[in-house]
Amino acid sequence: MADLLDRFAPLMGQRDALFGDGGVNPFQVKMDQVLSQTEAMIGNRRTILVGTNNYLGLTFAPEALKAAHDALEACGTGTTGSRVANGTYYGHKELETALCDFFGKQHAMVFSTGFLANLGILSTLMGPEDYILMDADCHASIYDGVRGSTAQIIRFRHNDAADLDKRLARLADKPGNKLIVIEGIYSMLGDKAPLAEIVAVKKKYENVYILSDEAHSLGVLGKYGRGLPEEVGCEDDVDFIVGTFSKSVGTVGGFCVSNHPQFDTLRLVTRAYVFTASLPPSVVASATVNLGLVKNGGALRKRLMRNAQKLHAGLTAIGLKVASENSPVVAVVAPDPVTAVAFWRGLIEAGVYVNLALPPATPYGYSLLRASLCAAHTEEQLDKVIAIFAEVAAKVGLAAPVEKKRAAIG
Amino acid sequence: MNAPTGAEPSPDTLAALFEILKSFNKAGVALTPGTRFSEDLNFDSLVVMEFIAVVEDAFDISVPLNTLPDVATINDLAIAVEKIVAENT
Repeated sequence: MADLLDRFAPLMGQRDALFGDGGVNPFQVKMDQVLSQTEAMIGNRRTILVGTNNYLGLTFAPEALKAAHDALEACGTGTTGSRVANGTYYGHKELETALCDFFGKQHAMVFSTGFLANLGILSTLMGPEDYILMDADCHASIYDGVRGSTAQIIRFRHNDAADLDKRLARLADKPGNKLIVIEGIYSMLGDKAPLAEIVAVKKKYENVYILSDEAHSLGVLGKYGRGLPEEVGCEDDVDFIVGTFSKSVGTVGGFCVSNHPQFDTLRLVTRAYVFTASLPPSVVASATVNLGLVKNGGALRKRLMRNAQKLHAGLTAIGLKVASENSPVVAVVAPDPVTAVAFWRGLIEAGVYVNLALPPATPYGYSLLRASLCAAHTEEQLDKVIAIFAEVAAKVGLAAPVEKKRAAIG
Repeated sequence: MNAPTGAEPSPDTLAALFEILKSFNKAGVALTPGTRFSEDLNFDSLVVMEFIAVVEDAFDISVPLNTLPDVATINDLAIAVEKIVAENT
């Protein structure tokens, strides 16, 4: 009889082939001391963190720390209950009100994580006669969410509004409702959805809704940080926004906001909301305070984008292939997993932490060194990061060091 | 659809799928209606996605993700495609 977990043997074989030599691997990374939003001790090495999704650097905002301390003292370490039982405190309702104000929407639901928000909303919203049309590059939480739905699930080609249009046209005579699911910024490559085009397609057909996951764009895009719909100027055309507090908002938790008049029905029927414990009051308090900082975070957004442009330009100048321009996600494409692992190890051993992302978790089967910027990164830190990338790139045979390249040109 | 369904896809549908599969069949596996995508052709989830997208364009249909767990062989896919085409007309 095969062991329970034998079916994962091929995956574990791949892991061992890449990491089995005993060298450092991403599953072992442990922050032994957190020095700031942008630095930590990993073992004995002071490391610059360029892969935390902490876009605005709010994890140590003094106002949020104080609010969290106060809530901790006032309400204890946890609610020990679901939102629909004993787990809704005044703080949870204040946070939902703050979300409504922030987005200018009538309804908001707070979940315990962003993953659970997608899981809950996507498995519940659409019924057996309905259709979900999702971008093929959507996050795992969206895939898991739609898997729990009774609707028919159709994928369209990544960021391809024409392909979406074709698929909606095929469904035009079907009576069910249709939900388009996209992300404001896609996490792996940092590219944005072509939202204006997608809205135009939506408007060609009847009974079509849009749900956008703004996990990586909340706080990053738009004058007030409301994400891609704000930047594009089509907030009224996006019917549901899902997001997380675990990136720009600097803590943990998820949400969904909407103007749908019957939105509150979802509080009774969304299992990932009903059957899990609510967020601890200290987390809720820091999320509420940080949401205000996100709204007024124009200066942080400018610094973030300046940092992103600097890293993008620096890595491109070395000769590396970088996926998206003008994005807080700077993903370097390596030619294969083995080179990516060697590159990642070289970086971590030189004191730079980025995410290693390998297929099948990546689009196009890319092997990625995924960096994400923080508003709190300094120019000196980024100069150092770029210099270390150049050194390691040369070592793994991906690019010549900047000095040599200059000499060759001169 | 591992259990016999009694349904036989048309030779045209199978031929069209064989033709599309040519560019995905890197190892040159001999293709029959019973050829399995995962075990025989070694398709991973990314290849399946790209392959299905080409099939969708060829037949002008959308194959719902819900259908895929029932599709193990080329024959299964041919039956699924014909069912969707029939529903659309």
